[in-house]
Amino acid sequence: MGLQEQYRKEAAELLSSGEVKLVIGYGEGTTADRRRPVFVRSAELVSRLVLDASGVANLSAYLVPEGLLSDGKKVAVFLKPDGVRSINILAAEAQLDPGQVVILGFDIEGGQPTPLPGRKASDYAPLIESLKGSGLSPELQAEADRLEQMGAAERFEYWKEQFSKCIKCYACRQVCPMCYCRRCIVDVNQPQWINTSSHTLGNFEWNIIRAFHLAGRCVACGGCDRSCPVNIPLRLINHRMAKEALDTFGHYAGESADQKPVLATFRQDDPETFIL
Amino acid sequence: MTRILLNSRLDECLGAWRSAGFSVFAPVKRAELTRFDEVQKAAEMSLDIVMPERTIKDHFFLQTEPLIKYTITKQQIDTEEMVPPERKRVFFGVRPCDASGLDIDDPLFGWDYKDDYWFKRRDNSVIVTIACAKADDFCMCTSVGLAPDTAKGSDLMLHPLKDGRGWLVVPHTDRGKALLEPVAGMLQEEAAETAPVPSIPAKFDLERVTAWLASPESFESPLWREVSQRCIGCGSCTFLCPTCHCFDIQDEGDTYSGIRRKNWDSCSFAMFTMHTSGHNPRNTQSTRWRQRIMHKFNYYRGKFGVNSCSGCGRCTRQCPVDMGITETLQEISNLPK
Repeated sequence: MGLQEQYRKEAAELLSSGEVKLVIGYGEGTTADRRRPVFVRSAELVSRLVLDASGVANLSAYLVPEGLLSDGKKVAVFLKPDGVRSINILAAEAQLDPGQVVILGFDIEGGQPTPLPGRKASDYAPLIESLKGSGLSPELQAEADRLEQMGAAERFEYWKEQFSKCIKCYACRQVCPMCYCRRCIVDVNQPQWINTSSHTLGNFEWNIIRAFHLAGRCVACGGCDRSCPVNIPLRLINHRMAKEALDTFGHYAGESADQKPVLATFRQDDPETFIL
Repeated sequence: MTRILLNSRLDECLGAWRSAGFSVFAPVKRAELTRFDEVQKAAEMSLDIVMPERTIKDHFFLQTEPLIKYTITKQQIDTEEMVPPERKRVFFGVRPCDASGLDIDDPLFGWDYKDDYWFKRRDNSVIVTIACAKADDFCMCTSVGLAPDTAKGSDLMLHPLKDGRGWLVVPHTDRGKALLEPVAGMLQEEAAETAPVPSIPAKFDLERVTAWLASPESFESPLWREVSQRCIGCGSCTFLCPTCHCFDIQDEGDTYSGIRRKNWDSCSFAMFTMHTSGHNPRNTQSTRWRQRIMHKFNYYRGKFGVNSCSGCGRCTRQCPVDMGITETLQEISNLPK
């Protein structure tokens, strides 16, 4: 039995036993190679679930909208290790109770989905530990290295060209499990702290604010990058910030549900005088 | 006899148009994005794509348009109006759906108030459309009453020749005819066969859809929630749309000086209808998605007699969660009678 069949069966059992109220997974998309998020609430509909190598989106962002988990009931969700790390961060930041999330875990290896047996986020601790510091795909790494080699002025020009394409559609924010703010700083308009204009300066403001808010929180799922309708390589910025958090603080985002958020915590013996 | 333009003479044409005072815009791929931008040579153009990721609307209705500069002193308030430059432009290699989008939006921008920013650009631009030689799974012009070779919104149509040597040239407006004058010597008279127009099967029954949308009970249908469940509430579908035209006015600067701008806005955003009181009449994504569909296929046609959609399919093609107008209209079209 393939993994898709196994998870359809498991989803049906979880739903019919009342263990979960909802299964969030992938379904068929408009074209053969596209998958779209689907929400299954009854065992009769599990045939809508599809699991193959095209199931790349991190579905954990669908767990945070207000009200979904407030009844205390559980939700099952198809997650790769990056998605499990998102669950840990959301738990550490008090956005959800990981006990309400049943993980139907998988990874994609050699163009095939392979099962991951953990059903709870905490089951993934050894796996996440082994992934610590793992990098980008060779192709993206080459691009990241190219940027590192650049001088500051050249790199600034690179990002200026990329950010000048931004249309402030906020797809990067909306698809991101870490962007759960009820009201994003760019949407605060009394006063309007951040210009809404999508000129180059405004685009810099937006993209840099987001990069800083994700420092030490991004799990490199690549959702922002894939969602960007104007092809800005957002993953490269977030990866650079994640590397900074790892090199400076030894922080790998989403290791556990009780991991302290790296930029929202301090030690009393910190050598920096501004801390206390 | 018909007139044809050979690929090999395109650079000469571009040169002649530039000598006649036009800036030439064409689809290009720059910084990993396909879009309309100014070109000097035919070699810069990406004409062999289904369509650029961005629409030509961007060059008529700017993402952010400065309207006035203001300075406030103790004595007085000074304002300076910022009007669009009256630059003559040729848009070469436009897709029929994008050209149609301009035509669809004309009545909106000229209805009770004539929007100079739109019309100054429209009046100084010539739209040279190339009929589509290929389509993809997202194209749906035929479902909204248009076609891969429709001339709506085009000043000049170019129909690709079967042998790939160039295009058959057909002017549709006086502006299109005038654009041929400086290049008359570069066209040739020849009876050439044009390439077949791709067949794009209809994806939904538009009449059924519009009838259902116009019926008052549809407003509260459970369908809206079902079709929009996975919508993440970004604005990519609206910002990539050749006909979406909503905007917001913002003052940028400080108390004493700044610029008033007209910025794109999107009905997908929660902030779009937020009242000062904090009340939001469209407080869920499903009500926002309903608005988008209703606006395009019910309210707009009610006011201007045309649907606010030209079937380019970008809303689905570039949607982060594979949603879009097509699926919703298919669901409506398939509802039991």
